[in-house]
Amino acid sequence: MAIPSESDSSTGTRVPHRLWELLHFTPRARRKLVRGALVTIIFLAFNGVLAVLFGVTILNYTIAGLSVSSIVIVAAIGLTLVYGMRGFANFAYGDIMSLGAYVALLVNINGLSLIWGAILSFAVLALVGILLELIVFSRLEGRGAVPPIVASVGVGLIIQNGIRTIATTTPWIYRVEAIQEIPIVPGLGVHPIRHILTPAVGLLFVLVTHILLTYTNLGKAMRATADNFELAKATGIDTKRVTYATWAVSCAFASTAGILLGLYGLLKPTMGFEVLLLIFAAVIVGGIGSPWGAVLGGLVIGLSQEMSAPVFAWLAGPDVIGLVNASAYKVAIPFIVMIAVLILRPWGIAGRAPAFTGRVFFIEKIAKALGRRPKPTGPLEDESGG
Amino acid sequence: MKTRAEAERLAIDTGILVNLGFYVSISIIFAILALGFNLQWGYTGLFNAGIAGFFLIGAYTAAIAITPPTPPSTGYPGHLGGFQLPLAVGALLAMAMSGLAAALVALPTVRLRADYLAIATLAFAEVVRTVALNLEPVTAGTIGIVGIPHILTFSGPDAAFLNAATDVGVGAAILAGLFLGLHFILESPWGRVLRAVREDEEATMAVGKNTFRYKLQVFAIGGALMGLAGWLFALTLLYIEPSGSFAPAITFSVWVMVIVGGAGNLRGAIAGAFVIYGLEWLSVQLKDVAPDFLKDSIPYIRLMIVGALLIILIIYRPQGILREKKRVLR
Repeated sequence: MAIPSESDSSTGTRVPHRLWELLHFTPRARRKLVRGALVTIIFLAFNGVLAVLFGVTILNYTIAGLSVSSIVIVAAIGLTLVYGMRGFANFAYGDIMSLGAYVALLVNINGLSLIWGAILSFAVLALVGILLELIVFSRLEGRGAVPPIVASVGVGLIIQNGIRTIATTTPWIYRVEAIQEIPIVPGLGVHPIRHILTPAVGLLFVLVTHILLTYTNLGKAMRATADNFELAKATGIDTKRVTYATWAVSCAFASTAGILLGLYGLLKPTMGFEVLLLIFAAVIVGGIGSPWGAVLGGLVIGLSQEMSAPVFAWLAGPDVIGLVNASAYKVAIPFIVMIAVLILRPWGIAGRAPAFTGRVFFIEKIAKALGRRPKPTGPLEDESGG
Repeated sequence: MKTRAEAERLAIDTGILVNLGFYVSISIIFAILALGFNLQWGYTGLFNAGIAGFFLIGAYTAAIAITPPTPPSTGYPGHLGGFQLPLAVGALLAMAMSGLAAALVALPTVRLRADYLAIATLAFAEVVRTVALNLEPVTAGTIGIVGIPHILTFSGPDAAFLNAATDVGVGAAILAGLFLGLHFILESPWGRVLRAVREDEEATMAVGKNTFRYKLQVFAIGGALMGLAGWLFALTLLYIEPSGSFAPAITFSVWVMVIVGGAGNLRGAIAGAFVIYGLEWLSVQLKDVAPDFLKDSIPYIRLMIVGALLIILIIYRPQGILREKKRVLR
């Protein structure tokens, strides 16, 4: 009597329960979701206000920001994966992106379509990543952060100047059909490649990363290894294989980011190095080692850089301060955002503060220097009152 | 007849000497950069990836301070300047500006892990270079600042030779002074704290040293040295522009110099500068004799060699060719 009813109730609650689990809606995740929705609504409202105040054409900057963000996100995920696992900043990452773009170009100018170029470049760069770890970076394990940075700069110099020697310094362009912008309203249009394909690829890569890291054994092993190398090893994870896999994923992502970058503009030997700062800023803003943080950081960096352009354009006006070449200064915005995050939240906007961190160390220091003492906190008053 | 031939030979000789003098004076500038970086990284463990940025700030500050007014003409937008200050004042201003910039970058990042500092300084250098490229009313943009005066003004047929000799002499004097000064302060208790910070920061804190302040001081002093190198660079080249001379490759070259010479070793940094810049100088000389297909890619091949050197040295010989002297407690 009791048995079937129990099994009934369990089958009744189990299916939605498992679905719930599948979506990973823990209370923390739910809070984050609500916060994310709130930020999205505020952002959309902000854009609405902008459109009302300055006309609809101002939204072009938002669209550009979203597509730049997509490129930065793909690259930042790849960079942050290796950063989290090996604990050093890969300064060669920009040049690895250029390499990916040029490998695709090589396929592309030999008559195949760019899709094939992207697939082939994805595979080749994954191999390059494994080789880099095998030949260079595995020898520098356990030597701290600086020696691998130096070695990665060496790798970057070799790749960048190798491209210069072989492909010359003249800019290249992918052989794709010229596509016109699709106008939505007069003055506001979307380009099928820049503004639709790029964000779509970015979204695809975010989803793939999420699935890889949440549902596959490899992804779980990657997260475990990045979190605590020794413990992961003790649990029986083949950390060596996981490290190689991470390098492969990282460099493969770099190739796609490089191709998107090449589609956005021209292919130059320095194309990747020029956006390296942007990607580092995204990684740091999001919190080093956190792929979800990299997505958030990429959005913040890409949008803030592109949406600062009208502000600089306004500064260029002769009656304001008449700034020459004003649009060039937008590259300083990611740097400023990054420094602000380093001052206020060095663990990133998405990360959790490490234990025993003073609230805002730097600002407290200034306050102390100015002679202000922190006020006695609430609990003390409560005690005296009771 | 004979005198004329002799004069020609002499002219060629001074030509070679001027060229060699150029090599020596640029090597000295790199040596000063390497000393600054060595103070930051080799002695204190602060990894600076923005050497080119502090170098640029020093060079532009000096050039703006000491250059006589250049009226804007066709094709030249003119720049901030015309102050015609004495050279020494220019040097002090350059050091102050670079040191201040270094302190400002270090303030939020020096308390974090080494890689944050590296990223922040690299980013800083790129932003500074972008500003120098675009802030035309101050820096004259891509054209750069021209008309920087020589250290001493000579005239006559030997002027080039005499100018090169002055550059070398002044540079060597500054380098010797810096070497002695740094040697002195690094052997002092202050220098001992720096090495302690590099070896074990927490232990240093535990014995009551404010490591944050020491790191900030060292970063600012290193930045000021790079500013001084910028001043000397402006006076030697008489012309500065942002794209070539202050590219990130300068930073990476200085790394190689310090790693080749041995981090934490003043003599090594200077020797490294002469050797590695010698490589670059030779590659420029080779341009005339190299086969055609190689001619254009020589600078790229040189940078690839620099990259390979960075990798090989950091893997197999991180302590450099001249090791840091082992110190034993007495």
